[in-house]
Amino acid sequence: MRYTLFIYLLAATLLLSGCKPKAEVPSQFAETNTEAPIYPDYKDIVIPPNIAPLNFLVKDSIATAYVAHLHSSKMEMTAAASGNATIKLDSLEWRTLLTENKGSDISVDIYAKRPEGWVHFKPYKISVAEEPIDAFLSYRLIEPGYELYRQLGIYQRNLTTFDEVPVYENNRQYSDGENHCINCHNYRKNSTESMVFHVRSNHGGTIVVQDGKAHKIQLKDSTIITSGVYPSWHPTENLLAFSTNKTGQAFHLYYPEKIEVMDEKSDLLLYDVTKNEVSHIIRTDDDMETFPCWAPDGKTLYYCCAKRNYLLDPSVPDTLITQQLLLKFDSIRYNLMSISFDPKTRSFGQPQMVIDAAAENKSISVPRVSPDGRYILYTKGDYGQFHIWHKSSDLWVKDLQTDECYPLTEANSPDVDSFHSWSSNGRWFAFSSRRMDENYTRLFIAYFDKEGKAHKAFVMPQEDPEWNILLLKSYNVPELSRDAVTISPQDLRQCIYETEGENAIYKPNPTAFVRLDGTTGASKKAPVDGTSGASPKKPE
Amino acid sequence: MQKKSYKQPRKAVKQEVKAAPRKKRVLPILHIFFILSWLWAAWYYGSVFHISREYSFWVADTRIMEYILSQPYGILRYIGRAMLQLYKYPWLGGLLMALILTVGSWLVGYCMRLRTSWRAVQYLPALLYMAVVTYKGLDIFFEARTGFIFGIPFLVLVVLCIWAVIIRSFSRKPAPAFIRLPKDETPRQNGLQLLVIGVCLAAIIGFDQWQRPYVRVICGLLQMEYKQDWAGVQKLARANATMSNRPMACSYAISLVQTGQVAERLFEIRMDYDSLYVHGLDGRHNNASALYVPEGNYYGGFIESSQHACMEQMVMTGPTVRLLKLQTKCALMREEWNLAEKYLAVLRQVPFEGAFCEKYGKMVRHIDLVNADKEMALIRLTEPLHDSYESQYQQPLFMGYNLLLFEGRSPQALINSLIVCLYTKLMPQFVERLEPLVGSTPPSSIIMDGILLAENKNPGLSQNFTGLNFRQPQMQTFFRNTQPYMQDRPKYAYELFPKYKGYYPYYYFFGNLKATKKGYTSLSSSSSGVN
Repeated sequence: MRYTLFIYLLAATLLLSGCKPKAEVPSQFAETNTEAPIYPDYKDIVIPPNIAPLNFLVKDSIATAYVAHLHSSKMEMTAAASGNATIKLDSLEWRTLLTENKGSDISVDIYAKRPEGWVHFKPYKISVAEEPIDAFLSYRLIEPGYELYRQLGIYQRNLTTFDEVPVYENNRQYSDGENHCINCHNYRKNSTESMVFHVRSNHGGTIVVQDGKAHKIQLKDSTIITSGVYPSWHPTENLLAFSTNKTGQAFHLYYPEKIEVMDEKSDLLLYDVTKNEVSHIIRTDDDMETFPCWAPDGKTLYYCCAKRNYLLDPSVPDTLITQQLLLKFDSIRYNLMSISFDPKTRSFGQPQMVIDAAAENKSISVPRVSPDGRYILYTKGDYGQFHIWHKSSDLWVKDLQTDECYPLTEANSPDVDSFHSWSSNGRWFAFSSRRMDENYTRLFIAYFDKEGKAHKAFVMPQEDPEWNILLLKSYNVPELSRDAVTISPQDLRQCIYETEGENAIYKPNPTAFVRLDGTTGASKKAPVDGTSGASPKKPE
Repeated sequence: MQKKSYKQPRKAVKQEVKAAPRKKRVLPILHIFFILSWLWAAWYYGSVFHISREYSFWVADTRIMEYILSQPYGILRYIGRAMLQLYKYPWLGGLLMALILTVGSWLVGYCMRLRTSWRAVQYLPALLYMAVVTYKGLDIFFEARTGFIFGIPFLVLVVLCIWAVIIRSFSRKPAPAFIRLPKDETPRQNGLQLLVIGVCLAAIIGFDQWQRPYVRVICGLLQMEYKQDWAGVQKLARANATMSNRPMACSYAISLVQTGQVAERLFEIRMDYDSLYVHGLDGRHNNASALYVPEGNYYGGFIESSQHACMEQMVMTGPTVRLLKLQTKCALMREEWNLAEKYLAVLRQVPFEGAFCEKYGKMVRHIDLVNADKEMALIRLTEPLHDSYESQYQQPLFMGYNLLLFEGRSPQALINSLIVCLYTKLMPQFVERLEPLVGSTPPSSIIMDGILLAENKNPGLSQNFTGLNFRQPQMQTFFRNTQPYMQDRPKYAYELFPKYKGYYPYYYFFGNLKATKKGYTSLSSSSSGVN
């Protein structure tokens, strides 16, 4: 009996080892001058030394076996694949390879076994940077765009491994009384010690997590348009900047871009977490302010702003503002603005123009200041602010030392490149892009060197590289953090389900920039205060 | 050699016959039940289960199926969906269904230790299942709750198997015949079983025909629509012309548009739209627009809107084979090659979808092949010329857009627009769109009759066209004959339909009247917003 068992085990072992392809560089092969047909494209990229293995597929339809040979002067590793063409790299070997080659290059040779024999593709290199990337990346997984939502959640991925855990998932089962959407998660200075996200529909409210405890607040006041969105934590004070937007969307019928999302009006809010007080930072009728972002010193708040009223026909009732704006969707342009802030007195200065994008018939969204405060990374497109659906959108930076603005050409693609997050050391940024299939956003990582130049971006590695194709959800709102979220999904669920949310006390800030002309839209009245530097040039 | 005779004397034979007990004549009821349930599951209800498969989705990869596995009874639904895949071929899916029901019935008999006189009871759970499926009608697949179709009978079977094993372990009681004839039954007991099965099946089918007659028709139409069997769609729709529901009308209209007959034969089926027994995820009565809007938009030339409708459904129900296929075709038409490849990569993991993937996989990055495809080439002809927003039109878009069409890509676009105006009885819009036809003979009798009807409020309109004179007498006769019924049109609409079906003036006065609709509901509100 024991012998029989032994024979079975031996046979099973032999069978399994027979299935596993041999990871050996072929001794004989023919050279081809073609690029290695790998998916995703990991050729000639710069990677962090702590990134998970860059597993990939070799897309050579006639080949039956594949070998990848990664080598440098210090070390080498080999991996092989057969039928499924998936090269999976051993994580321990990979870790050692990256550690040994920090600051240097790794050469990669790919071999494929075709009916006529082995072929060797053009080699490529992977450069390993000295600086690591923040180990955790949070994102929301949701079907791309459109109106409805069902099963969605905020997840956190450990970039050094393939572990993904839910931070919070909404109700998995449809229920009229429970359905809710979650969005706009954000951390303070790349640390999950302070976290915020928003819940919409049932159980709605803004969830603030600090010291491992979650509480729900309601930012409501007759002067506030809607709940706060696009949050930004103040780097030193217990404050949050939000924008409050009246947002709508429409669906194109015959257009390369499918969806247009636009604001009808928007303002900026400041929420004092400790005092549970909310106030306006900017409140205007004509201007639409959005995407607030604190500078690392906490003394400047950057945001985007567009003029609206000049696009409206004064004879048309206010109730048709959205329809009017929809017809002029490609004329709405946002500039990059800033407003100074004194953390001691909690007072704001006057809005200042940072980039007059409208003057060049462009539009800016999602400004994010680098941790050293030198660069502002933003998305620039032809119009509007929901650049996640605009093919023209690309990542740009403004060097605040030289005032120079330039595109991150190496990292950009012909398709959508938007929503980005800096690593805490400022050497990496993660962003979402539709470059893979024009519809489903995937997360990309790019190196940002000391000269302010971005390098070729690569997609967030997956244990099974085909997952990038098979997953029928989009990754959005990537946020890098140094540490993992510690509060459990159960605790968040308890806070969301079992508390109504404390109403924030509205306390007007005397230094807020308020410019109301007495109407909500199609007013011919001149602005009461003409001092704002926010006036973009009217497009010719 | 003399041949030995085995012939017995006649008297002796007679005595033997008298002495022998009367031979029992029993029927293999289990086998008959198997055949009947197979016929029900494959032939009678096969199209419904086939469409259930199209409205379902299953791949072995549990990561992709996580949206189902994470729900209550996730594993059961996963297994149920896997089994449902066999319904790509209804005879095959029906075979599995019949096997489960038959083996389940046999096990019920064994586990409950039913006496032969009570053996009819063993068939009741299976018959109850058939009854519930019939009662649920479209709900068995609407909103993609398809995992239970096989999941529940499979679970019952597993429980029965375990129960049977336990019984067998402690008792040596012989099992009732499974393959052999049930010799332990008397003909009376045998007949009782047959009677119970027959009566129950008749009741189930009777209920279906009486209360859910549209279920098989809609599914049959969808099945043929997905195969692009336009002649089949038209034949089935016309055979059930007095039945009226929107999915059926949309399938029929699509088939007519695809065969260039929409201006000739649209009104050959009733269009009063009776209420359907169908419910949304919220459990409330639903208008079933999910069954036809994505396809209606696609075949109407509104590719982006079809993608929109598909995606909204995918969000709510998860992916389905039908939506993924439609998304693939839309992506090809929009030259979103990588997106088409993505959907094809997912579909390749779905059993039995190789032919679809092969056909459409060849079109990726080959716009010439896309445009050469007969179906897609026809759709191209009615694509909008200019961009606008969906919200500018009434829903469903394939109707609303055509009511406001001001510039078309082809004569087909004009015809579609004219027919939609006639369908909605909006004669001013119809008259506005006649401009390109002035001076010619209108392309169809429906349009001709529309012009003659519009002349009431537009005197002299018909003089702008040729060939209308011969339609006048028929219309005069119609008015003369229907005059008595004009006082109460909803009352007589159904009665007059057989006589005037296909004739536009009948539809104009008697068809699609609010008063003839029964319990039609609008789409229930769903969670929506900017995501």
